[in-house]
Amino acid sequence: MVRSAAELFAGRTYDGTSIDDLVAHLGVHRNSLYKTFGSKRGLYLAALRWSLDHDLAPLIGRIAEGAGPLEGLREALAAPVTGAGLDLLLLAAAERAPEDAEVADMVAEAFAALDRATGALVRADDDGEASGLATALTAAVLGLRLRARSGAASAAVDQAGAALAQRLDQH
Amino acid sequence: MANVSIDGDNLIVEIEGLDKLWALKSRLVIPLANVRGATADPGISREAKGLRAPGTHFPGVITAGTFHIDGERVFWDVHDATKAVVIELADERYARLVVEVSDPRATVALIERATAVS
Repeated sequence: MVRSAAELFAGRTYDGTSIDDLVAHLGVHRNSLYKTFGSKRGLYLAALRWSLDHDLAPLIGRIAEGAGPLEGLREALAAPVTGAGLDLLLLAAAERAPEDAEVADMVAEAFAALDRATGALVRADDDGEASGLATALTAAVLGLRLRARSGAASAAVDQAGAALAQRLDQH
Repeated sequence: MANVSIDGDNLIVEIEGLDKLWALKSRLVIPLANVRGATADPGISREAKGLRAPGTHFPGVITAGTFHIDGERVFWDVHDATKAVVIELADERYARLVVEVSDPRATVALIERATAVS
């Protein structure tokens, strides 16, 4: 149920998802929705947590466990094509984090986890450069997802990711 | 229509005008610790409301007073469904309040700020 809610929020945004939508898609009674989660926000926090644990964490695992930096980079930069785990995070960062401190904390934690995974893939001269590259790489992953979601051909997104992975691996 | 405000550690729900008569209640004071959340929910008025006791229910015109549904007690004061806000409670006489407010979005934000884990 929390998973379906995550999919709904990832597709329609928080504001764009009504309790009617949730009741219709989750097959749950309105009263028990309120009883279980307290509010739409309560359900949203549970859905975001679920998505970070079940969609994003495995992606981070795949990046970290790649056979080498190039494989890890390809894994990270291929993620924007499918979008698994990234859409709700993107929307949470843009829509809810600015006005909800609890969401902001969860988003910051997710970005930090992505940074740690991508940071392990880059070669850098010092810690400052490594952390800068990690942040930039996470931003590239999210930015490419934004391009894919707004209609860019997946081949183009794929190519952009592959080109960046290739270039970063050479340095 | 209800006026929702925060006073110290309490949520105050004041029933305005003639609704006091229909709802048989003029003021509810709920400790913020017992407020689980608030949601703007224009669709809730189409749901079954359960058994009214006591209060007033002219379907389509006003729902006010105490209703019993699924073993829970719910307080209603709604004329205009588009402005309904659901306030979920814990350890209170009412499981939830469904009240009409002038600005649902502002009321939800007010309650979320007041109950935010700091």
